[in-house]
Amino acid sequence: MALTRWARREIVVGGVLALLAAAGAALAQPSAEQIMSRAHLATYYPGDDMRARVTMRLISRDGKERLREFVMTRRDLQEGGEQRYFIYFHRPPDVRDMTFLVWKYPGRDDDRWLYVPALKLVRRIAANDKRSSFAGSDFSYEDVSGREPDEDHHKLLKEERVGERPAYLVESIPKDAGSVDFGRKLSWIDTVTWLPLKEEYYDRRGELARVFTAEELKEVQGHWTITKRVMKNVQTGHRTEVAFGDVRYDQKLPPDLLSERALRAPPAELVR
Amino acid sequence: MRCASALVLLATVLAAPGMSRAEQRPLHGFVQAGAAYRLIPPDRCPATQRLACEEEFVLGEGRVGLELSPRGERWALSAKGELIYDGVGDEWEGELREGYLDLGFPALDLRVGRQVITWGVGDLIFINDVFPKDLVAFISGLPLEYLKKGSDAVSATGYWAGTALQLVLIPVFEADTVPEAGGRLSFHDPLADIERRRTDEPSPALENTEAGLRLSRNVLGWDLSLYAYRGFFHAPAAEVEPGPGLRFFFPRLSVYGASAQGAVLGGVLGLEAGYYDSRQDRSGLDPAVENSSVRVLLGYQREVVPDLVLSAQYFVQVMEDHAEYVRTRVAGMPERLLARHVLTLRLTWLLLHQTLRLGLFALASPNEGDFHVNPEIKYSVTDALWVAVGTNLFGGPDRTEFGQFQGNSNLYVVARYAF
Repeated sequence: MALTRWARREIVVGGVLALLAAAGAALAQPSAEQIMSRAHLATYYPGDDMRARVTMRLISRDGKERLREFVMTRRDLQEGGEQRYFIYFHRPPDVRDMTFLVWKYPGRDDDRWLYVPALKLVRRIAANDKRSSFAGSDFSYEDVSGREPDEDHHKLLKEERVGERPAYLVESIPKDAGSVDFGRKLSWIDTVTWLPLKEEYYDRRGELARVFTAEELKEVQGHWTITKRVMKNVQTGHRTEVAFGDVRYDQKLPPDLLSERALRAPPAELVR
Repeated sequence: MRCASALVLLATVLAAPGMSRAEQRPLHGFVQAGAAYRLIPPDRCPATQRLACEEEFVLGEGRVGLELSPRGERWALSAKGELIYDGVGDEWEGELREGYLDLGFPALDLRVGRQVITWGVGDLIFINDVFPKDLVAFISGLPLEYLKKGSDAVSATGYWAGTALQLVLIPVFEADTVPEAGGRLSFHDPLADIERRRTDEPSPALENTEAGLRLSRNVLGWDLSLYAYRGFFHAPAAEVEPGPGLRFFFPRLSVYGASAQGAVLGGVLGLEAGYYDSRQDRSGLDPAVENSSVRVLLGYQREVVPDLVLSAQYFVQVMEDHAEYVRTRVAGMPERLLARHVLTLRLTWLLLHQTLRLGLFALASPNEGDFHVNPEIKYSVTDALWVAVGTNLFGGPDRTEFGQFQGNSNLYVVARYAF
């Protein structure tokens, strides 16, 4: 059946409008890659430097609790690029005064050093496996210092609220399946702060393995910060609750401060 | 004297409660109990080693440790004292393990007092780490930290543009603690019949001050260090005196060395070498003094699966003037080869959220035939309490470095409650 000229014009106009609408939506809604890259910067790179007193509670299924307490300092050398991390442990007693230094390079393995105060020994640590547990917690090294967004394929599934906050729901599939312990990850990225409000890690069989939730967000010196977070291993029932206290940004720390010298004799600003 | 310093420490601690702050308490401590049961009784015990055959326990002790560590912006004080009850010998002892003052200047860190100094990249293989060690504690199953002894020293480290230069001066000589006659450890004693023995330590004098230099820098991700040391062997040499008697002394030694450590193929590669210049026996003709030697270490460490780390080392020590050594060797003394080869393996597996550690350390010399094997299980019952159970197995020919300790092989249990 032939369409009338008028009707055809309707379709053309409608099509153009639809295209415009799609383009507008595309402008308002960034791509999955853009979302994950902004989330990466918002989570791991706010400010030029940052420090926090971190309390980690490791809680087993039956409620048995262990406490880890440390001061973590981060210094960025380039936004989105090289970083240095320094950690001074206060608790538990058998790691008290231990210091840990990481020089993080995008695209290749970190350099890591651990200082054992009882032996006055600086020990270089193998850093090939980022899945290792950080200090026995449910967080891996990669969770603490960040996974490069371009290591995964991302797909924007939809927008969905987490509690009151609107978020982008993004699915990430690792490009190299062997390098990580998850087969698929779902992230709910806050549309305002770009911080992850929730993450679900699925193992390679597709079963839900770990769930991350940001429990408290605070604005500190203009930077939105997750001050309370939980990582729960739903398969074992073990969870880790992390609180960031005394957060400070942009202290203008010289990058050289986070070096071997600080490992052996940490200056007061990296300890308290 | 050691008891006195522990008392002084205690008094300081008790007098300083006002300094306590909930956030960073400057006072910490622990209570520790340890026992090590002898698994293999020594096959023969000369008069000088009677105890080694009588005592079933290599170790049976309790310790209380206190650590005071107040700090300011640019200074820190650290004092660690222990009061030890030795249940096997029924003796009390006090010891100041560390007691030093740190001063931080813009490009200089100064540390003055009794301090542990650790150099080099070896794992229980020491080349440039010439500083005093307690072999008795190590053999007896005490935690690894007791292997290192403090030196009464001044250490100054200067920093400029990523390079560090450390100068260490040790005016008071501190010898290694080694198994000796009258103790409860058995060892190879070629002159066991001589019971009259004395030890001459280098007296505290300017010319006897030990000096060490370490220059280090990170270059393209590699930690590079150069070392130089001028002082003494810390393990005693022995010579027969008229009488007869045995005189122990510490021959003059210089060590020059280097080390490098960096990431290779997802693991860590370590290299270390050193030249031991035995200044009192450069000709190699003095049978009492160890000859000069070249020592080289190669190590590699890698995480095999998450929380499981495997490491291996190869070490070789080549004696200079071996022909002279053979020619002048006294009968009964160890017959050492031109080269001693050593292989080590370490496995560390962390489980149950890193509260359970399964460890294995094995060291063996393929050409001299001696070995040391130390499997250990360590569990943190709570954050404050850990318990470790393990064995130290020594074996090999009687005159070799570890073979002589076969009769000290033990099963140990150590528990520590820290606060």
